[in-house]
Amino acid sequence: MDRYSRQTIFPEIGPDGQRRLLGSRVTLVGCGALGTVLANVLVRAGVGTLRIVDRDYVELSNLQRQILFDEDDARDGLPKATAAATKLARINSEILLEPIVEDFGPDNAERLVHDADVVLDGTDNFEARYVVNDVCVKLGRPWVYAAAIGSYGVVMPIVPGETPCLRCVFPQPPGAGAVDTCDTAGVLGPVPGVIANLAATEAIKLLVGAREHLALGLLWLDAWYNTIQRTPITAPVVDCPTCQQRTFEFLDGAGGRRATTLCGRDAVQVRPTRPGELALDALAERLSAVGTVRSNPHLLRLTVEGHDLTIFRDGRAIVKGTGDPTVARSLYARYVGT
Amino acid sequence: MTVRIRIPAPLRSVTDGQAELTAHSDNVGQLLGELEARFPQIGPRLRDEDGALRRFVNLYVNGEDVRFLRGLDTDLKAGDEVSIIPAVAGG
Repeated sequence: MDRYSRQTIFPEIGPDGQRRLLGSRVTLVGCGALGTVLANVLVRAGVGTLRIVDRDYVELSNLQRQILFDEDDARDGLPKATAAATKLARINSEILLEPIVEDFGPDNAERLVHDADVVLDGTDNFEARYVVNDVCVKLGRPWVYAAAIGSYGVVMPIVPGETPCLRCVFPQPPGAGAVDTCDTAGVLGPVPGVIANLAATEAIKLLVGAREHLALGLLWLDAWYNTIQRTPITAPVVDCPTCQQRTFEFLDGAGGRRATTLCGRDAVQVRPTRPGELALDALAERLSAVGTVRSNPHLLRLTVEGHDLTIFRDGRAIVKGTGDPTVARSLYARYVGT
Repeated sequence: MTVRIRIPAPLRSVTDGQAELTAHSDNVGQLLGELEARFPQIGPRLRDEDGALRRFVNLYVNGEDVRFLRGLDTDLKAGDEVSIIPAVAGG
């Protein structure tokens, strides 16, 4: 246990807390600015098993804040979950890492969350967060809401059955275009770092069984305009549709949208109509006749008509060079199929 | 009443980049009206078509959610601090 000596001599964790950490299992949803910091902290702290779910691949513009990735990962266009797991395995080889290159959503949420002691939010969109909230309330899994944009960020630990849930605090997610995204407002590198470190601290409290010390309520900060506040929100809202009435409309939303514009990117993700494994080798061969194809064991990239289509094994594609879902869907239909 | 309003980063694009404002309003509804008069684009970001506070934006007066006070009728007194806390998505 020498590796963990600095936190086992911290009396609030101690040898018992460390044993609990080593025996615990965490699902991290999203491995970008928040997710890389969350994963880094938890793997170093000795969380036994970390499942990392992410749908995206590494790009140069990620490196400003996504601490587990480097220029090689961006050049190779590796999936974020895979690149993160490779780096994390070098940081702590005792941890069981499960990289999952999938789009977290209604169809896989229960499978990815059911065995987790704690779920961590590293997502960059409301669609996924409200699914996280639904599935965690449904299965009774504690989770930590975290988000950052510009110089502003929020953190809120959620323990279903005890604390308010995400919908108690924000009853409805904004519609498309109703709020700024990192696309329109940017993000200051250290801000997701601060927010994710606070969220990771809440996760450690949950994992070692120190619920009485959770920072309950909504903590928000503005690192540029120098404000930090915690708004205590102690009781669930009596008529909350999720945690009181137990209706899970985001989780039950049949499959969600087929094409989603991605935060901070001139890109759209397109999902296949029927999920299934793609034979990437055969597809690469076929597509090399129509454009430039590069591939690695996890994905292939087709450059054609001024767009980059990154196609994953699970049948998804990220179409770069457009923010228009219709254009993206039609490129997908033309080159990957329906 | 002179109150201070904190404008979070995600809304500063509609307040000419200003992070903190002062206003002279007796209640939260009046305060929103005053903000909307100065920054017309902020209206739709905070309220829906019926004028109600949007369900992904929270207003706190000295740290208390107005939804659990008297909503837009919540009284303000001199020196109060109003924070606008929208749900944010980035990560």
